[in-house]
Amino acid sequence: LVAVANPLQAAEKVYRLKMAETWPSNFPIFGDAPRNMAAMADKMSNGRLKITIDSKNKHKAPFGIFDMVRSGQYDLGHSASYYWKGKVPNTLFFTTMPFGMTAPEQYGWFYHGGGMELMNKVYDKYNLLSFPGGNTGNQMGGWFQKEVKSLDDLQGLKMRIPGFAGEVLAKLGAKPTNIPAGELYTALERRTIDALEWVGPSLDLRMGFHKIAPYYYTGWHEPATELQFLVNKRTWKKLPEDLQEVLRVAMRTAAYDMYIQSYHASGENLAKILTEYPDIQVKSFPADVVQAMREANQSLLAEKAAADPLAGEILKSQAAYLKQARLWTDISDKAYLNSLSTAK
Amino acid sequence: MIGIVMFFVALAILLIGFPVAFTFGGVALAFGVWAEGPDMFAFMPFRIQSIMENVVLMAVPLFIFMGIVLQKTRLAEQLLESMGKLFGGVRGGLAISTVLVGALLAASTGVVGASVVAMGLISLPVMLKYNYDKSLACGTICASGTLGQIIPPSIILIILGDVLGIPVGDLFQAAVGPGLMLIGIYVVYILVYTWLKPEAAPALPLDEDISHKRQQYLRALKAIVPPLALILIVLGSIFAGIATPTESSALGGVGALVLAAAYRQFSWKMVYESALETVKVTAMVFAILLGATAFSMAFTYTGGDYIVEEVLSDLPGGATGFLILSMVAILVLGFFIDFVEISFIIVPILAPAAEALGIAPVWFAILIAMNLQTSFLTPPFGFSLFYLKGVAPPQVRTVDIYRGVMPFILMQVAVVVSILLFPSFYGLS
Amino acid sequence: MLLRLEKLINHFSDVLGKLAALLFVLMLFNVFIDVVMRYVFNDVSIGMQELEWHLFAAMFMLAVPYTLRTGGHVRVDLIYERLGLRRKALIDLLGCLLLLLPFSLLVGWYGVGFALEAWELGETSGDPGGLSQRWIIKAVIPLTFFAIALSGIGMMLKSINILRGHHQECDYQPPQH
Ligand code: NA
Ligand code: NA
Repeated sequence: LVAVANPLQAAEKVYRLKMAETWPSNFPIFGDAPRNMAAMADKMSNGRLKITIDSKNKHKAPFGIFDMVRSGQYDLGHSASYYWKGKVPNTLFFTTMPFGMTAPEQYGWFYHGGGMELMNKVYDKYNLLSFPGGNTGNQMGGWFQKEVKSLDDLQGLKMRIPGFAGEVLAKLGAKPTNIPAGELYTALERRTIDALEWVGPSLDLRMGFHKIAPYYYTGWHEPATELQFLVNKRTWKKLPEDLQEVLRVAMRTAAYDMYIQSYHASGENLAKILTEYPDIQVKSFPADVVQAMREANQSLLAEKAAADPLAGEILKSQAAYLKQARLWTDISDKAYLNSLSTAK
Repeated sequence: MIGIVMFFVALAILLIGFPVAFTFGGVALAFGVWAEGPDMFAFMPFRIQSIMENVVLMAVPLFIFMGIVLQKTRLAEQLLESMGKLFGGVRGGLAISTVLVGALLAASTGVVGASVVAMGLISLPVMLKYNYDKSLACGTICASGTLGQIIPPSIILIILGDVLGIPVGDLFQAAVGPGLMLIGIYVVYILVYTWLKPEAAPALPLDEDISHKRQQYLRALKAIVPPLALILIVLGSIFAGIATPTESSALGGVGALVLAAAYRQFSWKMVYESALETVKVTAMVFAILLGATAFSMAFTYTGGDYIVEEVLSDLPGGATGFLILSMVAILVLGFFIDFVEISFIIVPILAPAAEALGIAPVWFAILIAMNLQTSFLTPPFGFSLFYLKGVAPPQVRTVDIYRGVMPFILMQVAVVVSILLFPSFYGLS
Repeated sequence: MLLRLEKLINHFSDVLGKLAALLFVLMLFNVFIDVVMRYVFNDVSIGMQELEWHLFAAMFMLAVPYTLRTGGHVRVDLIYERLGLRRKALIDLLGCLLLLLPFSLLVGWYGVGFALEAWELGETSGDPGGLSQRWIIKAVIPLTFFAIALSGIGMMLKSINILRGHHQECDYQPPQH
């Protein structure tokens, strides 16, 4: 590039990149992450790296981000890795897994436990780079019309729960059901479906499910949903090294910022839901249900590991990392909270 | 700038009379390729796919099919005629029945294309048969078909809930009052208009073989019950949790076939012919959506969204001034771009200002929804007008439709103004 | 010769229309069965639910060229309806040449790459029990747009045949419903 011939001139050159996000414009928290990232990149580069963001309502292809960034129609994307499961099955593992790592554990895996390397091993073939793009924290298990007291209550339970988690529940006799997002409220209210999962208090409040369903279950299937920045590899290579670093740091910082923002918004909104609707019962699934879900999850993962060597490698790496990190989680955060609750 | 020039070029070419869908597409192509190169059209398959995957739109062919079956079996005609006769000597009975049936359909779908086309199929032929004024008939159908937009469930309320971060249930509840007000005003208008201009909507002749009034009513009721029950079953299936609103339209389609069988009019030939007509009308509706998505793509990707943003981002005035200006802006934009674009591009720009001015979000959303409903009726690009034209018999001309919707547009504007001035009357303040 | 070519193209569009009608009936019963299965038998099949929109999408797409053939696409006829047959034919000829053909061919062209990508990736549904072979429904996009182009050529031939004095006035009646 010109950079070699004339460093001064190269320093002045402005790079304009276009980014597509899966979310509609003004979508809180999820949509703040790419905007925050773009603003930081602009400032850190002294205006040399300009990123414009097109929302779902402009490009109309929330689940076309993978293809559009891959082909270069957009330079960057903001989405979530598990959306590409139907195109590239191994992308499933880089968002969150049922009964998997919590957000700090998973960040540890990405940056220090080989996660980034494995993720880019998956994306490399498709002319893409993938970076963590912000975490929602632990997602709630969903809104239920009836209490789940035993495994029997999962039999024939009609629940909107897409993707791999739906597969786990289906193994236990539940009936994952597709309902368009716009009709979810009516469907749950009229009991066309018995339950649904969305995100957590941070985004559930605006959907209003607390007004129509009495039980709010704690999470199991998305303990640390990590969004994703996708970068077209050709675009990345065209950037001078300093701007690559600006972009990398901006993405990493924006991801962390979103995790904190989610945490804050969840606390704030949960308080709001519980003051406005004190009758909402926050529940956890009974131990035998959790146990059965874990076993179903294990056997499904074993199938995936057996079917594809790379999937096996990723799952093995995650399991090993989780084992080591959880030791510490247990005697740090968990023990701390436990000691508080037993001390009263 | 390109977006605005493109709009006027499209308008000019539309007037020549080439099909609307391909005029939108072709003009979008010319301007898009000229400004950005052909690669912009690599986005088209994605946009088309988002229409293909939009299952809520399945209500369009399903309702059209129900309408066609009811029309072919003459059950719709009997329904409207009998309802009309129940009005006795009161003129405009057919038009009022159309508004009421339209309101019922509106309560089971949120897709305007579905209810306008179904109402066009069901009631336009009947009104024309009884020598209704063409403009009155067309205006009534477009307006009552478009009620689907404000009477819950409604796509626009779902989208606005999403954009403004309001639970969709709150919006559905808030929209009931304004929706009923619209229905009431339409009915009053039809009564007054036909009283002033009797020849526009003759009262239906009573059956001559029966002299007794009571028997007249009984016979009419007998004809009303089956098709009305069908529509109520569609509605009831949503409320009972049997089906989602979209699925309920399939119950309507199958139910229409069952009714046909009950009246000994069922045959596979009839099903096939109805299906063939259904796909033809459906393709007419969706081709417009395909052309329009190309048009809005060329509009936004050549910078149209930024122009709109600039104009709107600093509207002057306090709360009332802001509300009036933003309503006028949305009304004017409604002539140019469709409601989805407006909700996603315009509303997010206006929302922060509304919030800062302390305007109640639900009130704001209902105002916008009513306003956007109007955009379906405003010439030249009002989609309801295209849809009705697509199913109208040849003697109904575009100009009849344009003329017919004018008073209804004025009534809608009046209701928007009343919501703006007296939110407490609608429980919105 | 031109007349025969026009007939051949019309025939192709008609076949697509019949296919779309069949897909519609399948879709109607598909949705109905899904509702009955869920409500009465408490059973849900994601595959069947996905089949709904596959049938729906293929139905309305493939019907577009058919509707073009039958003259069912809506026009603003403020001026058009007052024109004579030859002028109408001229408008259709030029409209197809300048608007319809470039649009449908370009979208069709990009649609090929779109469908091919799904084919190469072996794209499937991301949901458990969903349908595989996504390339089929994606291939409907280029298929439809090339068929629209072909149907448009049929419309042009018809216009040319009218300009050469081969058609009767009644050909330009809008469809009845
Ligand atoms: Na979720
Ligand atoms: Na509605």
